[in-house]
Amino acid sequence: MTVLLEAERLCRNFGGLKAVSEVSFQVAEGEIFGLIGPNGAGKTTLFNLMTGLTPVTSGVLRYRGDLLTGLPPHRIAAQGIGRTFQNIRLFKGLSALENIKVSQHVTTKSGLLSGFFGTPSSRAEEKRVEEKAWELLTLVGLSGRAAELAENFSYGDQRRLEIARALALEPKIVLLDEPAAGMNSSEKYGLTEFIRAIRDQFKLTVLLIEHHVPLVMNLCDRIAVLNFGELIAVGEPAEVQKNPAVIEAYLGAE
Amino acid sequence: MTTAQFLQNLLNGISIGSVYAIFALGYTLVFSILGIINFAHGAIFTLGAYFTYTLAVGEFGINGLLSGLTLDLQIPFALSLLIGSVLAGMVGVLLERLAFKPLRTRGADSLLALVSSLGVALVIVNAIQYLVGAEIYTFPSQVYGDIKPAMMFEVAGQSVVVRTVQVIIFAVCMVILTLLGYVISFTRIGKALQAVAENQTTASLLGISVDKIILVTFFMSGFLGGLAGTLVGTSFGIAGPYFGVTYGLKGLAVIVLGGLGSVPGAVLGGIVIGLAEAFVPPDYSAYKEAVAFAFLFIVLLVRPQGLLGRSMIQKV
Amino acid sequence: MTDFLQNNGFLLVTMVQQALLAMSLYYPLMCGQLSLASPGFYALGGYVAAIIGTIEYFAPWRDSLGWVIFPLEWLAAGIISGFLAVLVGIPALRLRGIYLALATIAFVEILRVVCLNLEITGGAIGIFGVPQLFESRWSYIWTFGPLLMLMLFFSYRLDRSRVGRAFKAIREDELAADAMGINPTRYKVLAFVIGAVLAGVVGAMSAPFLNTWNARQGTFDASIAYLAYVLIGGSRSMWGPLLGGMMLSALPEILRPLKDSRLIINGFVLVFASIYMPKGIAGAVGNLKNFTTRILGIGRSEK
Repeated sequence: MTVLLEAERLCRNFGGLKAVSEVSFQVAEGEIFGLIGPNGAGKTTLFNLMTGLTPVTSGVLRYRGDLLTGLPPHRIAAQGIGRTFQNIRLFKGLSALENIKVSQHVTTKSGLLSGFFGTPSSRAEEKRVEEKAWELLTLVGLSGRAAELAENFSYGDQRRLEIARALALEPKIVLLDEPAAGMNSSEKYGLTEFIRAIRDQFKLTVLLIEHHVPLVMNLCDRIAVLNFGELIAVGEPAEVQKNPAVIEAYLGAE
Repeated sequence: MTTAQFLQNLLNGISIGSVYAIFALGYTLVFSILGIINFAHGAIFTLGAYFTYTLAVGEFGINGLLSGLTLDLQIPFALSLLIGSVLAGMVGVLLERLAFKPLRTRGADSLLALVSSLGVALVIVNAIQYLVGAEIYTFPSQVYGDIKPAMMFEVAGQSVVVRTVQVIIFAVCMVILTLLGYVISFTRIGKALQAVAENQTTASLLGISVDKIILVTFFMSGFLGGLAGTLVGTSFGIAGPYFGVTYGLKGLAVIVLGGLGSVPGAVLGGIVIGLAEAFVPPDYSAYKEAVAFAFLFIVLLVRPQGLLGRSMIQKV
Repeated sequence: MTDFLQNNGFLLVTMVQQALLAMSLYYPLMCGQLSLASPGFYALGGYVAAIIGTIEYFAPWRDSLGWVIFPLEWLAAGIISGFLAVLVGIPALRLRGIYLALATIAFVEILRVVCLNLEITGGAIGIFGVPQLFESRWSYIWTFGPLLMLMLFFSYRLDRSRVGRAFKAIREDELAADAMGINPTRYKVLAFVIGAVLAGVVGAMSAPFLNTWNARQGTFDASIAYLAYVLIGGSRSMWGPLLGGMMLSALPEILRPLKDSRLIINGFVLVFASIYMPKGIAGAVGNLKNFTTRILGIGRSEK
């Protein structure tokens, strides 16, 4: 297997609290990698460390061997790491189509002047951006509502739009933070299929945080379990499920 | 710099700095409660000075609508100062009801509060101009009664001048600061005010009438602004309806230096800027007006939370 | 018509000029940045033009270049303003919301006091007898008018381009924009510089128009006036600053029959407009359009 992403002894403290502590793991190319754990285990913080939104206290993160730690979020995104947010952070006042166009920033080049003069290359680029945005909207089933503002979408549609926005980056890795939150069971099943489908179609590596255990067990190739900021288990779903430390973390947390 | 010059600068700086402090407190109180800056505060400063002047002197110059009119009041200065400041406080309350509350209840963009308070400032300033004209009003020299306008001290062979006005300004400011400190820290209303500043929702759940506290805050803010206006007016004259604008801007520098929303910060910031201005060497006195803004700019870049403010934590 | 232009030429040109200054605030606002620095750059641009137009050193250039000196003044003002904007913008744009607004107010005031004291800017008196480009006031529409057209076209294009989308994304959610690969600092500084260059060029056009230039041209009052233009006009589209700038700068003239009380009324208009038109005139017009569309049941049905 080719290691795509590698975390080495990642730490993040908030004051005296160790939100993420000495976490090391590797993610292989093409994997669907699940991140589970009780509330407050540090899952979202780990995503924020990986995307540069929160600086690491110590430790190293590598992508294809290159150092990611210390880079600002936009540089990390430009390397091909896209994400969604637990509390959905769409550009609420922009239309669905614009949300996706925005995210094609790193794959396009038009500057202030070429955009103003409408040079042939910038017009061709704008056309590609438009087409790609429609493609992705169609993929998530929202092409009928392209001109509507993102804030007017239902919760589930916003989650889908956010995934489409992450895909517009043409990422190698996507980080999905609780993509199934607020969905009913048939929607959750649909989402499982959808995530597999986009992985295959776009040759993605997927990291996801999810609370719904059956979905994770069914979907993920491998799973990492966090508890109180520490990694307590990594492995295939069946192994992890039997791990005594995991069982204790989940049962003990009740 | 000789010892005498040093003492003179120190004296001038502390005197004007204490006025900056009480003026800036008016800004900071409103900011701590509503998180907005009241751009009409400078206009209320001006208005307070005119109120007191009217009560104490009762004449209206020759240019405005009220020219030639005289009021046979001749209220003693101390009482005029008090009534004038209370009136300014009531204008503060009116301002909140007219320009801030309607925006708040509509949940409007907080930027709009800047525009609406500016609108009120325009109304106040131009109403003053309309009514009493644009001329400079100076308080008569015997306004404080029959006392000497200044005292001289000899320090190492040079004289230091202590103007009576400076002493009065400093004394009034100290009294007001002590009172305000007492009200905020030890009274029911002060504690309610702190609670509202901390968190409006929680405060209202605790049974505090947030609306009432906001009114009280605007009254105090207007009172402090009006008082500061009068004190500056007695010292340097009331230089027309626009004379509050400069002080309005300096006040912003003061509260940022001290930390937006911090009460002790406003006092410290006022004194620091007053002193910094007083110690500008005479050769560069033309740049004195820029001192406060240089402070403002540098503080924002180096330590945006100010000297005594809380640091801003960005939420992810 | 000619009479009308003769009598109202100054006002009409002023309206266009103020609309342009309102637009200079609009670009940073497109990124969600409340910058009140425009009067500073406007004053700076005016000084550049006034100095090039009056001092001895440039006399041979003025003689040999003729009217061409004016576009060169605009260019120089734009370049100098842009350069200063980069210097000021990079540190200042780390600040957010009201803090940025206060920092830009401080910048304007510092610049004003400096100009009040330098010899080259004419000190407190300012610079008199700035050479005129045209004989009549009205003719200045031929400089400000095309600039306004250009800026409207620029804004239209910007709104639909990669850079404009980056601006709007930062306005909506800076952190999410960052995570989508947009460098917020870079685009915030860019928007700030665009506004500064525009204000500088408008200043350079205004010095000949007003014939004189002094430190009263860039004040705090102006900062807030431009902000009022944008917010009352509407900060969400390029029509906002255009409408707000033109209408509010014409208002004192329209109210002239009310004589001395007109500025009082002007103040009340600001208060009521912010309360009753929170999305500005452009927003209110948009709402009206949606409303009629819904009532008449024509056009795109929305939701």
